[in-house]
Amino acid sequence: GVHCGACRKMSVYELHYFNNRGRAEPARLLFAAAGLPYRDIRIQSEQWPEYKLKLPMHQVPVLEVDGTMICQSVAIARYVAKVTGHAGKTDLEQAKVDMLVDGIDDVMTKKGDYVWHEKDETRKMEKKTAFYETTLPQFLSHFEKLLRTNNGGDGFLVGEGLTHADAWFLCLADDILLDFPDIFSPYPKLAALVERIRTYPGIKEWLAKRPQTPF
Amino acid sequence: EKMPAYKVYYFNARGRAEPTRLLLAAAGVPFEDVRFEVEKWPEYKPKMPMGQAPVLEVDGTMICQSAAMARFVARETGRAGKTNLELAKADMIVDGVADLMNAMANYHYYEPDEARKAEKKKTFFETTLPQFLGHFEKLLVANNGGDGFFAGDGLTHAETFFLCLYESISKENPNVLNAFPKLTALVERIRTYPGIKEWLAKRPQTEF
Repeated sequence: GVHCGACRKMSVYELHYFNNRGRAEPARLLFAAAGLPYRDIRIQSEQWPEYKLKLPMHQVPVLEVDGTMICQSVAIARYVAKVTGHAGKTDLEQAKVDMLVDGIDDVMTKKGDYVWHEKDETRKMEKKTAFYETTLPQFLSHFEKLLRTNNGGDGFLVGEGLTHADAWFLCLADDILLDFPDIFSPYPKLAALVERIRTYPGIKEWLAKRPQTPF
Repeated sequence: EKMPAYKVYYFNARGRAEPTRLLLAAAGVPFEDVRFEVEKWPEYKPKMPMGQAPVLEVDGTMICQSAAMARFVARETGRAGKTNLELAKADMIVDGVADLMNAMANYHYYEPDEARKAEKKKTFFETTLPQFLGHFEKLLVANNGGDGFFAGDGLTHAETFFLCLYESISKENPNVLNAFPKLTALVERIRTYPGIKEWLAKRPQTEF
């Protein structure tokens, strides 16, 4: 929990999602990096039709903070990052973190589009090919370049410490490496970054003990 | 303290740049409103951090991604909520609005098949949009009865994104907010907000 300075009360955090990494994992990684306890609620699909009615936009993930519900995965991860000091130090640093997160979110959404929403098998394969041959290399090139502009690229994506941008990046990496284990070969700094995040204190332990799910 | 020099780069449209322009207007912060023609875009694209627009340039540093830009301006100008939780409430509205804007772009720009385009548009206006407007109305009401703003007690980037969404959807259906009285009143509250009111009167009039 986190101390509210005046009242010395610890906040209670509950993260609602399905039993997947998906859109909840960036927040889980941030909780782990900070050693901040939370209730990792994983909803069964049979519960979902009724469960969603309690949620602000009938979607998950939702982070409940002392009973207040925050939805939208990017907003949730940013909140946890801010509470745990992993959001960037200045307004400009925070903006840089935010833009990288939004870029990663866009790519994840594009992947989700062919994986989950494209029903036609031919179009699905077409979109998957376009994703891996065009979208992803363009995106990874931008990111390798942006990482290198941060003091040579041997640290984290923005500033001097881990931020929610790195948490999101690891989640994307975990996903794309399943399809293409060599995807980072042209991007050595990004490859090293992935290892750096994986071995970050707190995250390392979480990766070893978290429920193993396909996505 | 010297005020930073702001430049907003985008096409000649409201689109994804307008939430940021509205916040700069609300704060009375001068900015260079760079609008390039579509043919000029290939010249600008390589200079942008992710090859996309809009971009906000702050004393030479470039920030892309419309929500990141708006949130930065909101923070700098004291319109990003007072606590982490207030910011999160504003952020979740922005993300919800962005999801709807993406759904619209999806059928409008990215669906080549005319029949599927019409179907997606119909689903958007008959199902998706009313559902989300219902959620937004409820969240607004949960904030002290709904006669103020989405988060805390002031205008934030949530409002500027919401106004932009409203401008798009109301073109298609002027009655789109009829079932949502608090959202209806909020739109007027945003439109008449000092700084925003003047900007709305003088900004370039564009279709999107």
